[in-house]
Amino acid sequence: MPDRIEGVKKLFTSRSARVETNKGESYYNDLFERCQTRLRELRVSQPANDRLDFSEVLSNNGVDRRDFMKWVSATTAMLMLPPMFSPLVAEAAELMNRAPVIWLELQDCAGNSEALLRSDGPKIDEIVLDIISLEFHETLQAAAGFQAEKQLEDAIKTFKGKYLLFVEGSVPMGMNGQYGTIGAGAETFYDHLMRVSKDAAAVVAVGACATFGGIPAAAPNPTQAVGVMDVVKGKPLINIPACPANPANMVGVVIHYILTGQLPELDSLLRPKFAFGYRIHDNCERRAHFDAGEYVEEWGDEGAKNNFCLYKMGCKGPMTFNNCSIIRYNEAVNWPIGVGRGCIGCSEPDFWDKYAYERPMANAKIKAPAGGVEKSVDEFGLGLLTAAGIGIGIHAIASAIGGKKEDGGAE
Amino acid sequence: MIKLIEKIEGEAKLNFSFQEGRIDDVQVDFMSSRGIEEILKGKSPLDALVINPRVCGICGHAHLIATVQALESCYEDIKISKKAKIIRELTLNFEIIQNHFKWFYLTIFPLFGLKQEIMKALHPSQLMGKAIALFGGQYPHTSYAIVGGVACEITNMDIIKLQRYIDETIGFFEKNVANADIQTLQKLENTADIMTKQGDLPDILRTIEKNGWQKLGKSYDRFIAFGENSCFAKGKLLNARIYRNVFVEDVRESDSTTSFAKSVHYLDRYYEVGPLARAMIKKNPLIKDAHGRYEDSMFTRILARVYEIAGLLTHSRSLIEELDLSEPSYIKPDIDISQLNSSGSSAVEAARGTLIHKVEIENSVIKNYEIITPTQWNLCGGDNKNRGVSQKAMIGLNNTDIAELVFKTFDVCSVCTTH
Repeated sequence: MPDRIEGVKKLFTSRSARVETNKGESYYNDLFERCQTRLRELRVSQPANDRLDFSEVLSNNGVDRRDFMKWVSATTAMLMLPPMFSPLVAEAAELMNRAPVIWLELQDCAGNSEALLRSDGPKIDEIVLDIISLEFHETLQAAAGFQAEKQLEDAIKTFKGKYLLFVEGSVPMGMNGQYGTIGAGAETFYDHLMRVSKDAAAVVAVGACATFGGIPAAAPNPTQAVGVMDVVKGKPLINIPACPANPANMVGVVIHYILTGQLPELDSLLRPKFAFGYRIHDNCERRAHFDAGEYVEEWGDEGAKNNFCLYKMGCKGPMTFNNCSIIRYNEAVNWPIGVGRGCIGCSEPDFWDKYAYERPMANAKIKAPAGGVEKSVDEFGLGLLTAAGIGIGIHAIASAIGGKKEDGGAE
Repeated sequence: MIKLIEKIEGEAKLNFSFQEGRIDDVQVDFMSSRGIEEILKGKSPLDALVINPRVCGICGHAHLIATVQALESCYEDIKISKKAKIIRELTLNFEIIQNHFKWFYLTIFPLFGLKQEIMKALHPSQLMGKAIALFGGQYPHTSYAIVGGVACEITNMDIIKLQRYIDETIGFFEKNVANADIQTLQKLENTADIMTKQGDLPDILRTIEKNGWQKLGKSYDRFIAFGENSCFAKGKLLNARIYRNVFVEDVRESDSTTSFAKSVHYLDRYYEVGPLARAMIKKNPLIKDAHGRYEDSMFTRILARVYEIAGLLTHSRSLIEELDLSEPSYIKPDIDISQLNSSGSSAVEAARGTLIHKVEIENSVIKNYEIITPTQWNLCGGDNKNRGVSQKAMIGLNNTDIAELVFKTFDVCSVCTTH
């Protein structure tokens, strides 16, 4: 066991786990040039669709240039790029229709589509991702039935090797995949995913289900649900977990892809570091109360009325990597900790079984390494990795593929 | 035999058979399942509060409220403050409102040969999503309701924001959906009065009239609703009479051999649930008038769903006036839920109709959990003797395009249906 903890510690403190917000001038200059070249190439290429003119859509929706530039700076910052990249991010947004996106729904609740398409996110995020670039989305598109199937076929053929495949929902492997089928031919979700992912440039798993199996995979996992990375091999793969995933992070990934032709830098669970490089706890608005030892001890008590720290009520913020505390939800109106309910750790693998919300930390099945409160809290990430039921080896290989793209330059 | 595949929230398969140019039967299959009820077994009762909203990405809040009320009904006596009740109700209203806008502009519009109005669907839904987030933290998938009340401690600042979100949504409705003052709209009693208005809803209704489709899509003309609160009433409508005494215990599920969706019936009869059922049981004058003309047809169903938005918006505005922020958000129950060996049930009006949860708690864990969703009532596949509500509505039509329209007037959600 000590060996294992050492091993995990090493992994956790390794280069891949560090978030470098400043990579040095020569790195950025080089990247800047590469992005410029990439955008030039995109500009002369054929749009994936000519449905909409970006600036027209913006103005039709009452978004003026100033709002747009505000969004550009925020997105640039979110992607951890220096301000000099802002004009490029703006250009990338305008070239969104050069990156075809296909969106599949498997074993899901449509919650991520909801979050993305309809209920959430700053207007521009929605305009950028939802309307302009989606080549195929089962819920949103007007076509249905056989027509929709044909549209999917066409999209795969036309954009072979170029489209980003977003997947929402887990893959049921039980009963030969019969827990989830699609289309007139009753193709299983597994076969469907395999067929559509084959010619994708990269696969983006969105939400808790597609990344780590989510609720369907909670014990006893009646349908033997697994995440996308458990079945799709040999493809650049990126995970955007959380339940639902934050639309800002989906947009971030797409913009990064347009801008650089690569996937962003990933952590060992294949999550983009720009979004999952820090814990909820690191930037929590209630952090000061944690540091001061001021806790909610019981629902509705004085602490609750004064927005004290929810750690003792079972908040999983200290061991959950995500940027909710910065980005928040529904146009930044609020987030779970803001309403005193605490974090349930929904961007971590197996969280339903490991630490479903109501069990305070002490009763959760994961243990912090020995030490004082602050120390144990800071090292909870280690406990998490030790506890993760998914083979770290798989990730190492997968990150190597993803990483190669990042290092290797153009597509 | 023709097969039609529908993409909704998830997927359903409609398998039509024709005789002499008319649909004489249609099989409705839902082709995926996650086994949520199995997953709940053996878990802590309170875990249901975070798991169940995830049954559905569109009506997750209704599932949250159904869960918390089912757990609370396991107590002999439990106190909930009026404030907490109002907050739960408001959020439920907002969820229904945003659903109806999306259904109308994204699902119904293209079926009338119109372009999907994405921004018209998004704008009011975003406003309502924000309103939910004020209390719930995020939308979809909130878990702010807890056994004994709600977790949120709202302030006057939140109330001001809330009022703005509601007023903006009302403004949108008056400008786009039906061009008139919302108070005037609420008082309408005659179908002709809405037909003469401008707006997207009257436009669609006029198209139905022009095509002579007013009476298409009729089913059993039986309605039921169980979710009772300050906005909705409980009861059933059978043979043109309203009965107020209906019991959740008499609701039964039965398996299907071809689909993951179980059939639901009340005392061996199929009933329609949803906005039309609610309006009929509440005796809404305008909907009663439309029903008097066209019965339970696609016309009445579309009108009832969109018109419900107006009622919910004004009702929500008045509910806010009743909020007393000095009341507690949470009242601690006498016994911890893990000490209970008990069972309970709840019924909540979700966007698509009555949602029922039943729970049994034994030795600190969930022994059994049963979820009966609105779409199961409306879209289930029936049995050997009787066809389900939507099946009955489609039988007799002469083409699958109209059948698809009729099917979608029930507002399909397959992820809920199979859970």
